[in-house]
Amino acid sequence: MVFNTGAALLDAIVLAVVSKEPEGTYGYKITQEVRQVIELSESTLYPVLRRLQKDDCLEVYDMECAGRNRRYYKITGSGWAQLRLYESEWRQYSDKITGLFEGRI
Amino acid sequence: MNRTDFMEQLERLLQSITPAEREEALQYYNDYFDDAGAENEQEVIEALGNPARVAENIKRDLSENVGENVSRGAQPSDRAVIEYGKTGNEQNSFYEQDSIGQVPENKGESSRNQEHAPAPTAKKGMPGWAIVLITIAAVFASPILFGLAVGLLGLMIGVLATWFALIFTSAVVMLSMFIVLVVLCAVGVQCLVVDPLVGIALIGGGLICGGIGILFLMLTVALTGIVTPAVFRGIGRLFRGKKKEAEV
Repeated sequence: MVFNTGAALLDAIVLAVVSKEPEGTYGYKITQEVRQVIELSESTLYPVLRRLQKDDCLEVYDMECAGRNRRYYKITGSGWAQLRLYESEWRQYSDKITGLFEGRI
Repeated sequence: MNRTDFMEQLERLLQSITPAEREEALQYYNDYFDDAGAENEQEVIEALGNPARVAENIKRDLSENVGENVSRGAQPSDRAVIEYGKTGNEQNSFYEQDSIGQVPENKGESSRNQEHAPAPTAKKGMPGWAIVLITIAAVFASPILFGLAVGLLGLMIGVLATWFALIFTSAVVMLSMFIVLVVLCAVGVQCLVVDPLVGIALIGGGLICGGIGILFLMLTVALTGIVTPAVFRGIGRLFRGKKKEAEV
């Protein structure tokens, strides 16, 4: 991939991945799913999750799984709002770039 | 290096942050190893890179967050928009890391602009659908409005044309009557010599036509000079009156 993924886009991708699971999902799975879409070093995701959690876009809860507590991340109401904002911004952005490439602009 | 080494090194490198943050981070990476499975331990360690880099990522984000929390505290209600401004800022710092020499000055600018960033976003967000709706409404309504306007204009032109045609007709009748008067009088005077009775009858007919002509002259003058201005003045007063009512 020759294009950089900025912090905002990374936030948007993580929110989108977490929002797919209504019951919430966990760090390892989020990392794997994000990595299906973009190249990402595995240590990049924790700070993003932590920041989204502090910004009330994600909430965390612990659930017992196979004899241990696993931390789950779940999208919040303001997380949904944020994701919608990112989606519409992305649509505008990508439409313009695509338009330029295809000679419409 | 195995998992235990990795976690111990990470814990040591995170001594400078608050215990709560350290716990969070360590739990996350413990979970991560658990979920990856013991058989993938080495792969995970390789993928994560050395613990110093992992710790660096965590600390850098924490120090950025401290600064942001201050500015967010100033406007807590407008979360999403501020968030947007903030991420724009971060994006610049991201570029800065990556390469490009011209970006550093950009960064200073964007952090100064952080307070202003929300306004254009809010402005930009609203009209998107509003303009589309207004445009659609205008497009659908325009044939009706346009038709109505053209119809009204046509009606006014029609009424005016009829009115002036009426005046013109009356003038033409008047003129014809005067011509008939002149012709009959001339013929009548000539006939007086040959047959006085016929001559007098012709002159009499001519004078009757002249009388009718004078009546039409009066009608024409009345229509053009008195009724037309009065009607226009009346219409003018009607509009002015309505305007005054509206103002009150």
